[in-house]
Amino acid sequence: MVLRPLTAAFRARRHTNFQRKNQAMINDRSPLLYPLRDLSYNFLGFRFENPFILAAAPSTDNLDMLRRAFAMGWGGAILKTTSVEGTRVDLAYPMMTAYSHEGTRLMGMGNIDLISEHHIDVVEKRVQTLKREFPGKFVAASIMAGRKEDWQALVRRLEEAGADLIECSFSCPQGTLGEDSGKMLAQSVGATETTARWVKEASSRVPISIKITPHVADIVKVAQAVQSSGCDALTASNSLQALMGVDIRTFVPFPQLGGSSTYSGLTGPAIKPITLRTIAEIARHVDLPILGTGGASTWNDAVEFMAVGAGVVQFCTAVMHHGFRVIDDLRNGLSHYLDEMQFQSPADIVGKALPHLVAHDNLPRRRVRSRIDERRCIGCEVCYLACRDGGHMAITRGEGRIPQVDRDLCVGCGLCEHVCPEECISMEDVRSQKEEKK
Amino acid sequence: MTISHRGALRESERCLQCHDAPCTAACPAHINIPGFIIALRSGNIRGAAEEVRSANAFANVCGKVCPQEVFCQSVCLRAKQDSPVAIRELHFFATQWEAEHGFSVPRLPGATGKRVAVIGGGPAGFACAFGLVQRGISVNLFDRVTPGGVPRNSIPAFRLGDKEVESDTTFLSRFITITLGEITPFRFDELCADHDAVFVGVGLGRDRRLTIPGEELPGVIPVLRFLERAKSGDVVIRPGTRVVVVGGGNVSLDAAATAKRLGAEEVIVIYRRGVHEMRVWKAEMEEARRLGVTVRFFTAPVAVPGQTTVEGVRCCQTRLTDETDATGRRLPVVVPGSEFDVRADYVVVAIGQEPAAGFLHRLDRTPRGYVKVDAGLRTSLTGVYAGGDVVSGEGTIVEAVAQGADAARVIAASL
Repeated sequence: MVLRPLTAAFRARRHTNFQRKNQAMINDRSPLLYPLRDLSYNFLGFRFENPFILAAAPSTDNLDMLRRAFAMGWGGAILKTTSVEGTRVDLAYPMMTAYSHEGTRLMGMGNIDLISEHHIDVVEKRVQTLKREFPGKFVAASIMAGRKEDWQALVRRLEEAGADLIECSFSCPQGTLGEDSGKMLAQSVGATETTARWVKEASSRVPISIKITPHVADIVKVAQAVQSSGCDALTASNSLQALMGVDIRTFVPFPQLGGSSTYSGLTGPAIKPITLRTIAEIARHVDLPILGTGGASTWNDAVEFMAVGAGVVQFCTAVMHHGFRVIDDLRNGLSHYLDEMQFQSPADIVGKALPHLVAHDNLPRRRVRSRIDERRCIGCEVCYLACRDGGHMAITRGEGRIPQVDRDLCVGCGLCEHVCPEECISMEDVRSQKEEKK
Repeated sequence: MTISHRGALRESERCLQCHDAPCTAACPAHINIPGFIIALRSGNIRGAAEEVRSANAFANVCGKVCPQEVFCQSVCLRAKQDSPVAIRELHFFATQWEAEHGFSVPRLPGATGKRVAVIGGGPAGFACAFGLVQRGISVNLFDRVTPGGVPRNSIPAFRLGDKEVESDTTFLSRFITITLGEITPFRFDELCADHDAVFVGVGLGRDRRLTIPGEELPGVIPVLRFLERAKSGDVVIRPGTRVVVVGGGNVSLDAAATAKRLGAEEVIVIYRRGVHEMRVWKAEMEEARRLGVTVRFFTAPVAVPGQTTVEGVRCCQTRLTDETDATGRRLPVVVPGSEFDVRADYVVVAIGQEPAAGFLHRLDRTPRGYVKVDAGLRTSLTGVYAGGDVVSGEGTIVEAVAQGADAARVIAASL
């Protein structure tokens, strides 16, 4: 007996009916049944509504988009980097490239975008408008210039316009407005300090943050240079210089503009571990507030950024992928997390991970061994292969495809734990294993 | 089968996070499905459960028995790539987690001083009540027996356990006053006078009758009574006997599967139309077939022979005419001279149900006996609203929930 399947036409018709009939109801959601807890706290002399800020990017280069984002609950935005009139912004398209990996569509995203095509006149007005319409939101501007007088003019005008912070891009990895083409300002400790001083000189009230690059031999030196310049904060850190891939039939790398390509700035989940290290390293050595950016896409990521020292967290790629609506789960997830952890405010998270970071020399030397939870093992033997060819040949094939750990050969490197698709392997102290045997 | 924590995480990653998501539009309760799935993906299970519960008061029950192939999953765009996201499993994972870890406490507004009586403690009634208390309106809910409606009383235990129903009703009962007892027409008038509005969600309490000779024999059992008695453990089928179920709907299949599980040797479903006219859910049909239930199409009962007990069912062959009924299906007629007997010890009559409550004669009804309402779920009596099966006939739980929630919206706006 065969049941009649729903035909495509029937489904389409039904879907249209649903939509027509119910769109009003979808819009008219009942009053918020589970309201969020208060996520506000002070940072950089500003009362942040929540720690989720839009990074300087296409999402912050349009007044209507910004209005929508604020209305949806974003705590603030850094308006896309602007410059003085007369600076030529010569964009090339297409500019975006996905880095897809094993089924994840946007493991990372590359862009060859440049600064905003809107010059200071436009951005100045946007700052004024947004501060008027959304006085509680954190409205910052990002600037980039070459000459001292340009940097200072930008700062003065934006301060006058009411910006809550000015972020100076010393690190755009694609185009550069400096004299040294391809080199970023923040790659030179001396140039960083000099330029940062110019910028700080021009501000009387507004805090200045310098956006730096992880592409340096010693991030601490750069951060110290910013500190001695008198600037107020650091934004860590910008996208990473990357080559997004190569078409192996035509040999034209990505993105392809005719037969040519160039290096991109890489953002998204792929760069999160690098950003975490950059923030942590700065926070451990320099006493400056940090605006975290580069690879955060969920509230968990934001908590991690804050735990290693960021005061707020900027988002870009996640929004470009899934829209401003990602703020819903960012706020909701953080709200529940604070409840669960019994934290008073997001500020309580800042720096929580830092005491646990030590130099390799100071790590405890304990003897650990791999332990496979046989009840949960599904028998794929991926750990067996990994250990055989990448570890210490300490895992053997067992009865019913359940791998066995040779306790004499296993050094406890942890490779198996991290290749196991079921996450059913853990590292245990040798002593506790012995105790269990008794 | 319940999905594991890791399984839920993996499945949630398959969701494309579509804009203007078809799944949300197809869900009668309009659960923000991409929203709760992205919360699951980030590990925010409580947030996911709250998202579901905000839209669907009977969240756990629907997570267990909602016919997802008819609603959300039937339009999942991931199916165009490989297979639809297991939305219902993810929904159930979230709400079950919440039930186990303690319900989030909803923030209800201060009392407005308005009072509404809700008659019927099933999905529609509870959803309406929950929608009203969310708007600061206090609710007195009245139910004949134990609240829970169809999910508690007549969905077979193998499809829905008491645990899910109880977790929903226990959660919802915190916010409303519940009174048990029959509502007489007199009591109904009292309730109307005492409250600012009344919502009627009493469902369908009475089985439709075949009106054929022999129907009064003790072995002929109306399906609701059969399912209720089977669920309460008051077994009605002797093992090794033959059961004929009359009717071709989901409830018939539930009854057939239940009879088989109770030990009936042979279970035959007879249906007066063909397979194309049968509107049943895949899962129900699969379960019935797995248990060995047979379905005879184009067969209609004409009498139940027997003196004191059922001996069988006298049937006729039918054929479809060009005429269609209200549901757009072709009407069957009996083929003259095609009579034959099917042996049976019990006959379960599952040809549909109708409203039972006595006070309903106060309200205008449709030709089929359901309560007549306008687009705002208003009945012919001012201030009296209705929703769920008593309005739409035998619908799904989630549709009843959606109507209850809609009624709450309309009632709140009118007060």
